[in-house]
Amino acid sequence: MVAEQRERDALSRARELSLAGMLGALGLLLPIGFHALGWGGKIFLPMHLPMVVAGFLVGPATAASLGFLVPLLSSALTGMPPLAPPIAPLMSLELMAKGALASLLYRRLALPMWFVLPVVLIVDWAVLGAAAYAAAGFFGITTGALKYVWAAIALSWPGTVLQLVGVPLGVAAIERRLPRLALARGERR
Amino acid sequence: MQWCRGEADGRMLIPIAGAEKGDSPLHRLDDRAKLVALTGFVVAAMLTPTRPVWPWLALFGLLLVALAAGRVKPGLMAKRFLGLSLVVGVPFAVSRLGGEATRLAGESFAVKSLLVAGGFFALTATAHMPDLLEGTSRVPGLSGMSALAAFILRGANMLTGEVVRTNRAWALRAPRARLGVRLRGLVAASISLLGRAAARSDRVGAAMVLRGFDGRMPPAPARALSAGDLAVGLLFAAISLAIGGLGRWA
Repeated sequence: MVAEQRERDALSRARELSLAGMLGALGLLLPIGFHALGWGGKIFLPMHLPMVVAGFLVGPATAASLGFLVPLLSSALTGMPPLAPPIAPLMSLELMAKGALASLLYRRLALPMWFVLPVVLIVDWAVLGAAAYAAAGFFGITTGALKYVWAAIALSWPGTVLQLVGVPLGVAAIERRLPRLALARGERR
Repeated sequence: MQWCRGEADGRMLIPIAGAEKGDSPLHRLDDRAKLVALTGFVVAAMLTPTRPVWPWLALFGLLLVALAAGRVKPGLMAKRFLGLSLVVGVPFAVSRLGGEATRLAGESFAVKSLLVAGGFFALTATAHMPDLLEGTSRVPGLSGMSALAAFILRGANMLTGEVVRTNRAWALRAPRARLGVRLRGLVAASISLLGRAAARSDRVGAAMVLRGFDGRMPPAPARALSAGDLAVGLLFAAISLAIGGLGRWA
């Protein structure tokens, strides 16, 4: 019994890692595609899309790790988002919070998506504000962090709309392929 | 981490941008020693005040020495720094319109950004991601992250192949399709790709368990860090910190 349970846990962990890897890969490739089409990353937030989808499909720890890693990996691989000025670290914190919160609310607490997604977006802006304020201090800039956040929110409204439309579609497409993900909602793993 | 390795020879297909095969002294230096040097350099860049100017110039000089030691192509360097022109250049230009404090903050922002970006560029242009990941896999608490990063790179290689094949198929089947048709095709292909990627990840997970994955990340085999490499990394970090410290407190 114990051995069976251990094998099931290993399988579940392996599938989660593998799915997270795939969504992380999309997080690396989508921005490259958007840049190739000439659509700004700051406007459409293409990296956010798969990271939020991952938040709805994998556990909180994996979603947080994925959100933290992808901007840094992308920065190392393509130079964008830049590590300095600290856009990649800010995005890491943003995506980490977004993924973990989405997973916690949707997978652990089994709250409905129409509630979770707007909450995640609002928390994302709060985290961005706090992180920008802290980062500005490193550069000796004492004002303007809040303006940066307002500008980022205003500039990225198409990205916000894209997430509100694309995330439910993406999650539904994957849950249709892998029904066990929908069935496992509310389970503690 | 055999179950999350890349193709044939076990190396990832996607290299870090600019991390070309090279035989420069910086390429040969152990990646961990480079990380030590980079940490010292970044701390020094953050310590350095807006005035006087000499510590900035000294740190830029040190950076140029590192880039020269890595025989980094000037074209690649220019391309990478050009990518920063919007995020660094625009705030800097706007800060020139403000008062003395704003101008100094703008200078500090631009110089620190360029120094730190240059330091990371020197590292990423002369290191390979798998080597860096193997290093982090031995750090307690980071092994899971490095395994996840390896999965992401593996997935990126696979998806890149899928996108190239899909693109080739479109080019053959509908070379003169209207934009609307292409966009509809793009959306349909993206959703299909997402579903296929998810289904594939399920199969990969099952295969991992069959190959012996038990839910824990196996640590990468330990490699000794040579005293010479460590000394070079520490020396670079110490020089950087001395410059930054003198600039701030002397």
